[in-house]
Amino acid sequence: MTNILEVKDLCKTYVINKRQNNVLRNVNFSVSEGEMVAVMGPSGSGKSTLLYSVSGMDNITAGEVDFNGKNIAKMNQKELAELRLDEMGFIFQQMYMLKNLSVIDNIILPACQSGKVNETRKQTLERGYELMRKLGIIEVADNDINEVSGGQLQRACICRSMINKPKMIFADEPTGALNRTSSDEVMEELAKLNAEGTTIMLVTHDVKVAAKCTRVLYIVDGNIQGEYKLEKYDRTKLRDRERALNGWLMEMGW
Amino acid sequence: MYLRILKKDLKRKKTMNVILLIFVILAATFIASSANNLTTVNGALDNFFEKAEVPDYWFAVTNTPDMERFEDLAEENGYDYFNSRLIQIEPKNVTVAGKKCEYSNTLTLSKLGGINIFDKNDKELTEINDGEIYVTAFMYQSTENNYREGGKIVIKQGDVEKEFTIKGYVKDALMGTAMVGMTRFFVSKDDFKLFDTENAAVSNTVEVHTDDPDYLDKFNKLGLNTIMSIDGSMFKMMYLMDILIAAILLVVSVVLILISMVILRFIINFTITEEFREIGVMKAIGLKNRKIRGLYIVKYLGIAVIGTAVGLGLSFPLSNLMISGVSQKIVMSSGDNYLINIAAAILAGALVVLFSYFCTRKIKKFSPIDAIHSGETGERFSKKGIIRLGKSHLPTVPFMALNDIFSGIKSYVSMVIIFILGTLLVIIPVNTINTLRSDDLITLFNMTKSDHVVSAELLFNPNEDNKAKIERQFDEIRDFFADKGIDVDVFQEIMFRSNVKKGEKLTNSLTFIGMGGVTTNEYDYLEGTAPQNVHEVALTYLTAGQIDAHIGDDVQIKVGETEKTYTVTAITQSMNNMGEGVRFYQDEDLDFNYAAGSFGIQVNYKDNPDKSALAERKALLEKLYPAAKIYTPGEYIGYMIGNVAEQLDSMKTLILTIILGINALVAVLMVKSFITKEKSEIALLKAIGFTNAPLCGIQTLRIGIVLLISVIMGTLISIPLTPVIITPIFQMMGAFSIEYNIKALEVYVIIPLIMLGVTALAAYISAQGLRKISSSQISNNDS
Repeated sequence: MTNILEVKDLCKTYVINKRQNNVLRNVNFSVSEGEMVAVMGPSGSGKSTLLYSVSGMDNITAGEVDFNGKNIAKMNQKELAELRLDEMGFIFQQMYMLKNLSVIDNIILPACQSGKVNETRKQTLERGYELMRKLGIIEVADNDINEVSGGQLQRACICRSMINKPKMIFADEPTGALNRTSSDEVMEELAKLNAEGTTIMLVTHDVKVAAKCTRVLYIVDGNIQGEYKLEKYDRTKLRDRERALNGWLMEMGW
Repeated sequence: MYLRILKKDLKRKKTMNVILLIFVILAATFIASSANNLTTVNGALDNFFEKAEVPDYWFAVTNTPDMERFEDLAEENGYDYFNSRLIQIEPKNVTVAGKKCEYSNTLTLSKLGGINIFDKNDKELTEINDGEIYVTAFMYQSTENNYREGGKIVIKQGDVEKEFTIKGYVKDALMGTAMVGMTRFFVSKDDFKLFDTENAAVSNTVEVHTDDPDYLDKFNKLGLNTIMSIDGSMFKMMYLMDILIAAILLVVSVVLILISMVILRFIINFTITEEFREIGVMKAIGLKNRKIRGLYIVKYLGIAVIGTAVGLGLSFPLSNLMISGVSQKIVMSSGDNYLINIAAAILAGALVVLFSYFCTRKIKKFSPIDAIHSGETGERFSKKGIIRLGKSHLPTVPFMALNDIFSGIKSYVSMVIIFILGTLLVIIPVNTINTLRSDDLITLFNMTKSDHVVSAELLFNPNEDNKAKIERQFDEIRDFFADKGIDVDVFQEIMFRSNVKKGEKLTNSLTFIGMGGVTTNEYDYLEGTAPQNVHEVALTYLTAGQIDAHIGDDVQIKVGETEKTYTVTAITQSMNNMGEGVRFYQDEDLDFNYAAGSFGIQVNYKDNPDKSALAERKALLEKLYPAAKIYTPGEYIGYMIGNVAEQLDSMKTLILTIILGINALVAVLMVKSFITKEKSEIALLKAIGFTNAPLCGIQTLRIGIVLLISVIMGTLISIPLTPVIITPIFQMMGAFSIEYNIKALEVYVIIPLIMLGVTALAAYISAQGLRKISSSQISNNDS
């Protein structure tokens, strides 16, 4: 399988009150096309920083991040934004959406801005509806965002991340603000997307979430301490996957 | 704790606080200096008139029998009066600093006597040496003649010619403004004698001091052939333009105060909404509403105190600058009116504090639980945007700008109010100025439209055949153009001062007859039809009202020694002498030896020439009349009423600059506050791939759209508002029905474009601040 993301000696340092804080220290890993990678680790270990650094949302201090053959460390802000718009999808913990737009408008906004897919506004809208149908939230398409539940909103965020047919989706604790039922539903959708070929990298604290991935990276103090590979996700074997992952995590000091 | 919270607030909302401070400073400065200006000008006028001993009545007659009849009346009634002789001189016979004197009204030569005249240092002028000459201040200020101390003026009258040295300017309460339509040079008694020859056109001007309430009746009954007659109460009206300018500035100041308050309200609402959670926490730990409100009010008190103090400081030099133009014309009061500045500035500051107190009432409504739970204002979202991206064909940037506006119209109300006020503040004065400069305004001065006006006003000499003299001039112009194959109408307004009577009611009014190629049908009338024969006249509203005359009534009008009965066929309007006037039929036979004066010669080309042809013909007229000036009707009126239009023009620039500054500051304030408020949304948009350019575009476009809507609304409101505000001013001057000259290109295109350009630029520059927001700040509102 081809690597879509290759990270070499990635360092990220914040300077706060003249004090250096090395959040990421020489991180090396890669993600292959079609993988679903979870990043786990204790609070403050650098998980979200890693996600934001490799997705071009945050500048890196040193190292190389190669995304789909492009070194994003050498890109300026405009190029990075274009990369995020056309080739990446993002899902956040807090289901951020523009409150002045309806759910469907939030979903199709990146497509309308990008123009990557050569289509009319009507066709874009149709694609948006199709994604929503697929994720089972078509009934809230024209609602305002305050009129839908957290689970529905997070699925809408998944739709938005998918609208530009990205090469990879980055998700920062996508189920962190959801109850268990909604969390399971959202993860099922992500697993389905992955099964259809979308590469996903997510940050989570939840073993149940990580158990649906194909690989888990464990990070402590800005270093990847280890990785755990899982079989392709199979719902019927979820409990076994969770148990096995839990065991590994215990070994890692979780 | 107070100090820490304040410090944090001042640091976080630096731009907002600075902008509010600027507005408080501006408001305090302008309100203090314009209040000072208005009271100073008003008070100084009273003081000036008192010091100058301005008479209760003032008139001018040209012949001795009339003077003798008045002397009998004065003796009989014990009136205190002073008669001074004025020698009329033709501006073409006067050279100032080697150049022909430019003046199109009546120019006279006078010696000291009668009312008190003051020099530039407000000292009473008691003596003038031979060979010295003084010029009235408004003439001295005019840019058309190069008057300067030590400069030379040569006057030639008949066989007499003398060179004078300009000693300076004087403050002359009687002929101190262009509105009087007459001015004078002051020379020594001996020099005056030199020019007071048999052939000189001399008029007796009489200053009457009396408190007899029946004076006017008695005076009018004398039926004198006056060339000018002014009631004492009218003198102040002659300075109307100076008061008007002060009043306009006061209106600008009041608008600035209003704008400051709107901004204050916006900032307070914004701050309270943003700090909703903190307010909730303060309430939860037991702080009383008063204490929490005090926290905010203390800040605004601080801003008000600093703003008022700085504004007050700035208002002193500005006050002096504002009154400098007026103080050259009139004797100012001895004491400075700085107390007015202090009171007005404190009032402005107090209003700001009081308003902030009212605006913080909202704090009382919050419950601590709501605040802590939601962390926002606690209000549920109402239905958002009415437009849908999926159904719109707009690109994302204009769509989002429009959608934001439609989704939160309330947050744009402050901006809309400010922009509308600004638009009105620009458009109304511009419309007024354009109307004052319009060619059509000539119809309000007892004249009719023409292509050119030659400043060849006639000096009526009882020893000459004045009518023949006029006709000779007309022939000369007609022949001159006929030789070049151009057919022209040449005409001129001749003025008389006549008694107009209906039954027992009597008034004295200017009367007009159009001589040459003009008929009464060519003038504008408000009611009735133009006089069609020599027995018919049209009266202005004012004159008709004074004798209670209506259309169809018979009135008696006396010109010279002849009194005739005329039927009133029309009501008209005039701005001459604050509204008085009578129009005779063009063929009426009047004794021109009693004419009080004339306007310039008007020339109308029958072939409707275009602009370039008009320019060529102006050059031809200049050749024919090298000593005269050739005007368009608008220029001629501007010239007659003084440099008011020029003063208003510079005020137009000042107001436009202020409004552009205000709009730019408001745009900066709004964009900064939007960026602060929408930080996480901006970060989200950046995270999903929006670059800075479209995001700056959204911010700029929002302000641009709001400004555009406001300018359209302001423009629409200005249409009915312009007459409401301006008509009373014109009415004071005698014009009741004005056709406003609205220059659509300037008012509806150029000015809005300038406003839009400057405001959008300010918004765009301010929007660059969002570049600092990183996509990773999506989850951190405070970072």
